Amino acid sequence: MSNEQNEQPEQLPGRLASQRPQRIRVQAPQDASLNVPLARPEHNTAQEFYVRQLIRSQLRLAVAVAAGLLAMLVGISALLALWPTAYEFTLLAIPLPWWILGIGMYPLIIIAGVLYNRAAARNEERYRSISRD
Amino acid sequence: MTSLFSSLALVVVCVTTMLIAFYGLRLSRTTSDFYVASRSVKPWWNASAIGGEYLSAASFLGVAGLIMLTGQSGLWFPIGYTAGYLMLLLFVAAPLRRSQAYTIPDFAQIRFEDSKSLRKLTTYLVVVICWLYIVPQMHGAALTLSIATGLPGWVGPVVVAAVVAITVVSGGMRSVTFVQAFQYWFKLASLVIPTIFLLIQVIPEQDTADRLRSLGTQLENISGLNLYETISIILALLFGTLGLPHVLVRFYTNPTGHTARTTTVIVLGLLSAFYLLPTTLGVLGLLYMPWLGSTNETDATVLLLPSAIFDGFLADALTAIVVGGAFAAFLSTTSGLVVSLAGALSQEFFAGTVRGFRISTVLATALPVLIAVVTNSLALAGAIGNVFAFTASTICPLLLLGIWWRSLTAKGAMAGMLVGAVTCGLALMLSSVIPPVDELWFHMMRQPAAWSVPLAFAVMIAVSRSTRRAVPSNTDTVMARLHVPDRGAQL
Repeated sequence: MSNEQNEQPEQLPGRLASQRPQRIRVQAPQDASLNVPLARPEHNTAQEFYVRQLIRSQLRLAVAVAAGLLAMLVGISALLALWPTAYEFTLLAIPLPWWILGIGMYPLIIIAGVLYNRAAARNEERYRSISRD
Repeated sequence: MTSLFSSLALVVVCVTTMLIAFYGLRLSRTTSDFYVASRSVKPWWNASAIGGEYLSAASFLGVAGLIMLTGQSGLWFPIGYTAGYLMLLLFVAAPLRRSQAYTIPDFAQIRFEDSKSLRKLTTYLVVVICWLYIVPQMHGAALTLSIATGLPGWVGPVVVAAVVAITVVSGGMRSVTFVQAFQYWFKLASLVIPTIFLLIQVIPEQDTADRLRSLGTQLENISGLNLYETISIILALLFGTLGLPHVLVRFYTNPTGHTARTTTVIVLGLLSAFYLLPTTLGVLGLLYMPWLGSTNETDATVLLLPSAIFDGFLADALTAIVVGGAFAAFLSTTSGLVVSLAGALSQEFFAGTVRGFRISTVLATALPVLIAVVTNSLALAGAIGNVFAFTASTICPLLLLGIWWRSLTAKGAMAGMLVGAVTCGLALMLSSVIPPVDELWFHMMRQPAAWSVPLAFAVMIAVSRSTRRAVPSNTDTVMARLHVPDRGAQL
């Protein structure tokens, strides 16, 4: 393997050539960034408690939204399978379930996303305000 | 004539993709540029890039194809793909961004730094998932190219692999972000234009009203998925998105956890807008090409529709646009997957050097081409659904429990992923060789997610409980890093 660091910088034409940064050999970050210190420098129980609270509130929020989503999707699929009358309602000759599934689901998913985003940011805000060190 | 226009469209897409990649190369200077675009990509760019990457052959061709093949059941796939993103937002987006990991194996290492074997297992699973996901893209490329130009089936995969390998090797992630963002808008346009033309043509026709009236009886003859299969697909798509390696790597290019969330919401909008199009085209396919439903070329619906409704120049031009868009889909998804796959391979086997990344890229593209050429496919979206079931049973429990449950142990994670991989993989393999029968056990084999995902979770939790002493001592610190909001955009 050639060591690119020691190579002469390429002679590039143009007046910007001298401004080009020298070539460096790039490498994936070694484990340095992956190691989280084992020992806790200051054993701050209050801080830990706030973090646990934050995690719990974020999880509760996420599970609530996910459960709602899942219940809605499974509920609709069950409803359509068990209640065939739904197909008798039509709009422009296309059965109602097609409109619900083809178009109607997407706005609900987006709204759920936006609402969740706000609530999650609020949880973080609350954490920030009580744990300010 | 069709063949000339379409070939032209194809060449334009491939050349543009490569040009943008080379432009991006000039901007990528440092190691982290190369890997995750310096984590400084704006949410809109990033969202477009995620959209570009996510909307694969299965979305572009497969959704309309499935609507032709299974009727209403086909509508669940785009809903699942979009709702899966919501799940990603809920459980994974911000914490994963804060974890400072580059890949899923990195995440495993951050959470359990003592367990080399967990990292290895995760790497192997990522590699398998990427390969499984690339093969349908190659099948899509083979189908598109042979329909559009009449060239033999192997040419498509080879073209896609070559373009992807060149773009990824030359630019790395930064340029891929540019390429992907471009791809989303291009894909959207290449379905919007034909859809508008088709709708303008068919809506005023009396013929359309007649066809619509017969749609009801036509739909009754299509056998869709039953309730169990539908629920299983919903679960697979919802939980599978969480574990898709090429999607996750995108979150590392957000500057903070908060922007990671903003990005995800934009993605939800972009995906919803896109999926209206293949859905509309699928319905038009049912109306105007009902015969296609009984052939094994339903995935070609989107490609064949323009020439079924128009003729002459307009048909050729619209077909060419769709072909271009389809190729953009294969190129973008494949390059995203190849970046993740090559990243995983090079970290594992080449100590993460850029040279190793390049060798890995070639490896990552060559094998799927071989597999795609020797196998054939039916229903792209269905094949992708299987990959989602597999990720949902393996990577998803690792991420969900790893992020949210402090009592997870490395042994538990490994046991859960192994059980999920083996049961889900075996069920899918067996169901593809056994002749289909209409019995519950067969449906459970063909759509395993409904039982294999809970099983993987249960095993992971049970084994973690019984190895309670092995919870890493730095768990609290790691959890704090995942969940404590970032201070501004500092890095």
